[in-house]
Amino acid sequence: MHRWENKTIHIKKRFKLTDDTYILVLREHIDFIPGQFIMIENPMATRKPFILGYFGEDTALAIQVKGKGTRWIVNQSVLKAHYPLGKPFIPPQGKGITIVSPASLTFGCSMFRVYGTDVLLGSRKEILTDIPFTYVIGDSAFADKIREIKGHYDYYVVNGSRGMEKFVYDTVGEGVFVSLEEYMACGIGACKGCAIQTKDGIKHVCTDGPIFRGDEIWF
Amino acid sequence: MVLNLRSPLVVASGPGGMGEYMEFIDPKALGAYILKTITLHHKEGATPPRIRAGKDFVINRIGLENPGIDTFVEDTVAGKYDHLFDRVPVILSLGGDSPDEYKEIARRALPIIDRFIAVEYNFSCPNVEAGGLAIVSDRMVLKDIMVSIRDILKDTFLIAKFGIEGIFVEQASEMVKDTGWNGITLINTIRGIVKTHDGYLRGGISGAVLKPIGMRAVYEVRQRHGDMFIMASGGVYAPGDVKDYLEVGANAVQIGSALFKNPSIIGDIHEGLSDKSS
Repeated sequence: MHRWENKTIHIKKRFKLTDDTYILVLREHIDFIPGQFIMIENPMATRKPFILGYFGEDTALAIQVKGKGTRWIVNQSVLKAHYPLGKPFIPPQGKGITIVSPASLTFGCSMFRVYGTDVLLGSRKEILTDIPFTYVIGDSAFADKIREIKGHYDYYVVNGSRGMEKFVYDTVGEGVFVSLEEYMACGIGACKGCAIQTKDGIKHVCTDGPIFRGDEIWF
Repeated sequence: MVLNLRSPLVVASGPGGMGEYMEFIDPKALGAYILKTITLHHKEGATPPRIRAGKDFVINRIGLENPGIDTFVEDTVAGKYDHLFDRVPVILSLGGDSPDEYKEIARRALPIIDRFIAVEYNFSCPNVEAGGLAIVSDRMVLKDIMVSIRDILKDTFLIAKFGIEGIFVEQASEMVKDTGWNGITLINTIRGIVKTHDGYLRGGISGAVLKPIGMRAVYEVRQRHGDMFIMASGGVYAPGDVKDYLEVGANAVQIGSALFKNPSIIGDIHEGLSDKSS
């Protein structure tokens, strides 16, 4: 029994969530626990990590086009990848909310489906498809919403830009978890490339994370 | 002393970590697995960011993050790596920050040295301030270290890993021969720099761009030493790359950064080499 698989995955359907973020719906069903991620081959010399998620009943990925590698990935029908990687996120007791950017909407879907959290999408760009969650557009509306929900939940899981994560942590404080993004090469703990400096010393996003307690992180 | 490998394919020290890639590798395809370099003292490694990639290269400054030799010995005795020893021949990689550390780590490794088919000494890490490249630039110091290590690890198959900086590979191979070491690994990463969104990342370059440089290094050393054990390293991504290195004189070929592109690459290359039509 292997912990990880290196396989071919097929894209059943793709559509735009915003002008630069795509949802790729997979033909395959992947067994994972929310928080785990997948490394996808692309023309660059290292695979790229994406958090695993769902869209509806299907395994799906949300991918923001940031450069040549991600542009190539969103245009493929068949991809090579290894998965599921990373430490599964096990939430604390109580009611939670998952706060996502467009590039992590599918993660939000997995948190809703597996742990029953509410989901809030914060976007700077227009949302181009119907989604079954509350969403706000723009920094100001997002900030107002976070202040409004402060204290309403037992835990808050944020997966977005570092700025978004910092704002939620600074506003809400205790009970905030953040999903970190760091350049990765192996995704399995071998290369030590995805190190981050935390308040408890060096940690590795691929094996210690990607989800960390907000109070561990130097924002 | 002879090192007989069941396959010429070897996982390179560094990218291969501490055996994690065995999840993706059929042991029959692999000649040996070289562990990440262990130093005398625990190293936390370099301050992030540590790694970036282009189309044909990876640049890293991991900084030899490792638990230190004493913890490593304890862990090995406790069975932490038995899953690896049970499946594949393992090579220990050692490094240091000073001449004394290079020697002392050999002594500290003695209790577990028989678990390994060879020891590869890293004389060429570009990402630590002392040791590595700083050591090889002083030939007298390097020779003293190699003579001492040979004396401490009398019965161990000793391989010296050199890059192309700090010393010519021709001189490095003479040092290997003169000090009674058994083999040489050519080459290590080469120092480079890339721009990042908020500055520069200085580190060692690996990946496909290294192949012609590694080929030349292996070729030159083979011309001078017909019977020296040579492990090639640099830019191996396909069966053809392995064949090219073997053709210019390598006895074995290490695969490192290519694991980042495809974690199953060892099996794919093994299959390609076995396919007579390729």
